[in-house]
Amino acid sequence: MSKLRSVIRHEYLTIVKQPSFWIVMIAIPLAIAVVGLFVYFGNQSSEDHIKEVTDNLRNVSIVDESGLINKDVVAASGLTLSPGRDTTTLREQVRTGEKDALVVFPTTLKQERKYAIYLSSNDLTQIGSVTSLANSLLKTSLFLPLGSPEIITLAQVGASGDVTVFKDGAPSGGFNDYIAPGIFLILFYIIFAFSISFMLTSVSEEKENRSMEMVLTYVKPRTLIVGKLLAVTFVTITQVAFFGALALIALLIFKQFGGEIALPLGLDLTKMTLDPMVIFLSASYLIVGFLMFAGLMTATAAAAPSAKEANNFSSVFFIGAFLPFYFITMLATDPENPIVQFLTFFPLTAPVVTLVRNTVGNLGMLEGWLALITMTLFMFASIWIAVRAFKLGALEFSQTIKLSKLFKK
Amino acid sequence: MYTTYMKKPLVHIQNFGLTIGDKQIVKELDFDVFPGEVFALLGSNGSGKTSTIRSLLGIYQPTAGTLHINGAPLTPEVASMVGYLPEERGLYTRSKVLDTMVYFGELKGMTREAAREFSLDFLKRVELEDKATVKVKKLSGGQQQKIQLGVAIMGDPKLLILDEPTKGLDPVNRRLLLDIVDELQQKGTAVIYITHLMEEVERLADRLLILKDGKARAYGTVAAVKKEFKSSSIEDIFVKIYKEKSHEVSHV
Repeated sequence: MSKLRSVIRHEYLTIVKQPSFWIVMIAIPLAIAVVGLFVYFGNQSSEDHIKEVTDNLRNVSIVDESGLINKDVVAASGLTLSPGRDTTTLREQVRTGEKDALVVFPTTLKQERKYAIYLSSNDLTQIGSVTSLANSLLKTSLFLPLGSPEIITLAQVGASGDVTVFKDGAPSGGFNDYIAPGIFLILFYIIFAFSISFMLTSVSEEKENRSMEMVLTYVKPRTLIVGKLLAVTFVTITQVAFFGALALIALLIFKQFGGEIALPLGLDLTKMTLDPMVIFLSASYLIVGFLMFAGLMTATAAAAPSAKEANNFSSVFFIGAFLPFYFITMLATDPENPIVQFLTFFPLTAPVVTLVRNTVGNLGMLEGWLALITMTLFMFASIWIAVRAFKLGALEFSQTIKLSKLFKK
Repeated sequence: MYTTYMKKPLVHIQNFGLTIGDKQIVKELDFDVFPGEVFALLGSNGSGKTSTIRSLLGIYQPTAGTLHINGAPLTPEVASMVGYLPEERGLYTRSKVLDTMVYFGELKGMTREAAREFSLDFLKRVELEDKATVKVKKLSGGQQQKIQLGVAIMGDPKLLILDEPTKGLDPVNRRLLLDIVDELQQKGTAVIYITHLMEEVERLADRLLILKDGKARAYGTVAAVKKEFKSSSIEDIFVKIYKEKSHEVSHV
């Protein structure tokens, strides 16, 4: 037990004491924050520019040959309707820059659903504003006979649906059901992107720096592998806690300045649904998936003679983890599809697919348990392979261990 | 010099055989190593020396025979009695010198405090006390070898296995290493010494075993082997064995 503790402490400290570990940990949220600030200030600046251009849309002429545009609507915009005979003159004024823009609603508007816009510059904001103005004039004129401003707005903007989903006869949280299992999916990718490769590096490094034989004199391969696995688990917990703390600080600062975060799909963290079975299954998929990939990484590092070759081989596992995203729509909408069924039970794709399907709620109870049992079997198999590869390959410094040798008695 | 023939052997290897894949590495090997002796294990590359040591340490599983240290097969739980400096040796290059030594001390069953105390004393002795908090990769090759030796002798091992320990060492460090081996031998440590340098065998070894193709070709005290082969030079005996097509073991 004390040797296991020593291995865990050594492996953990070796990783977290590296400056590169903290550089990556800080650089990623920092990059996200910098990009966020750029987008925020960029949008702010664009909004100011749009407002300025819109406010200056006084030097715009409107010609209506279609008879569909209401002169009061045009007047409410601070503009006046010009007669059709002035079109040529007005267009010339736009060309020479005397006027900013001209909108002509032709006689064929009803049939062809097209109108003409003439602009004095190619300023994107001006193009957008004049187009928007023209559309607004047209729509409001058409909707005006409906009566009250509320009805006109309703007809123009439409309405949003307040969704209530019944599950097992009772109202469920709708999209808020996705939050808790979705967090496990995000955690899986954080682990995959940041932590899982530590297993590969750790074993490869011991082989490359030739410390492996000295270590194996005093520690059983199983103890060493388990120690490394647990150390990587603690590293992951450190990373998640660090990112979580940063997110919390950012949220508090944001709220301090009166900001509000609008989550997509109307998600509301305060209404997050906590279904114990869904959370149990997601947590299980995360842990079992992590251990399975960690075992495969260890086996790869032990079987390959160098870190470089181990990295090359390990790319197969990364493809497995990211492949399900090419089928994301199918996973979410067509659970009976044979491809979805195959990906649900195929070892390399199963962790992500089960996490996605459990998030969107189309993984049935029986299917979910079957997938978990299958994944657990794969996990034990991968750890067995890791120990076997370790025994055979840990002291093999010149050649890759063949797959057939792994299963030979 | 060696005077312990009648003692109980610390290492007892009997009828040992090892096959890896389709290749038979070692065949029917028998030898003993006694406390307080330097035992030279000799042979050309691929003769089975390192495989024998790895099997003795439980890293490889023997296909036949018994390999005992202190009366039982070695397990990691009792490995603290063994110090091992393998041929393929290295340290955690990204870790600090003291951290690395303390880690190996813990793996050998020492407490952190004891491992730290030993490490600091050793670093002082080999004049590397100022490198304790330096990363291993910043040390020269010779300095790293000193640290490896320190790791091997941590915890006063009863058995010290040195696989080509002087490879790459300058004369000063080579002398230091041989002095340390002398000291440990005086304290009763059994030393298995693997080398290609026959002058080291002449100087240090009490007994020797020459392996060829996984089989023992000569085994006994240095003087007895010389007498058996009618030669005054171990190097000549070694060359003679390797030039012959086959030779039965000469057990003296």
